Amino acid sequence: MSDSEKWAWWALGVVALTIAAYVAFLVFLGHNPAIPSVFALLALTALPASSRRYFKGLTFDEREHAIASKALLAGFRAFWVAFIGLIMAIYFIKGWDATLTVPVWTLSEVIWWAVILVLGVQALTTIVLYRGGPHA
Amino acid sequence: MPSPEPEIKNHIRRFRFDHGEMTQDQLAKQAGVTRHTIMALEAGKYFPSLLLAFRIARVFGAGVEQVFEYQVIPDSAETLRP
Repeated sequence: MSDSEKWAWWALGVVALTIAAYVAFLVFLGHNPAIPSVFALLALTALPASSRRYFKGLTFDEREHAIASKALLAGFRAFWVAFIGLIMAIYFIKGWDATLTVPVWTLSEVIWWAVILVLGVQALTTIVLYRGGPHA
Repeated sequence: MPSPEPEIKNHIRRFRFDHGEMTQDQLAKQAGVTRHTIMALEAGKYFPSLLLAFRIARVFGAGVEQVFEYQVIPDSAETLRP
């Protein structure tokens, strides 16, 4: 298993752990400003060796670069689809002229969910492409 | 009907065997890639860049066209014809 694949599995685990922690917080504390603190767990994605590989002087070869680029692109595509979906959902549910009043911490939470989506899709795509995606 | 994708076959495995049963790891180090990339190349799951193709051919002291082979598919050849 390559370093990038190991990172992808690790990142998926971190995403799952963060979601689990979020749900646990939600159950025990309710939806309050302390909740976004669980997203600090996402920093664990920097732990695997592959994240430090660049600093060790080891570089990625062309296939790894190609897979990393495709995976990141897939993550941002997913984010874009989710973003458009969210806007359209708000439009259909609240109406175009509606005013939304949300606390600032909820906005930051939305950004963290976007990070989770990008990371999750990026990691999944990486695994799929390494597992024999054609000409990955 | 869409024409099939062109295929690039390679003879890396045979060349490794002919060069004193060179391991994938040794070839990877000499070509400047990871062993996983050599594995993917041999399995036909990855088409190398021109640069990598030249580097691999150079390791074997052979020409690119001896190591890599462009598969001419009749359908796609027809579409290339003027």
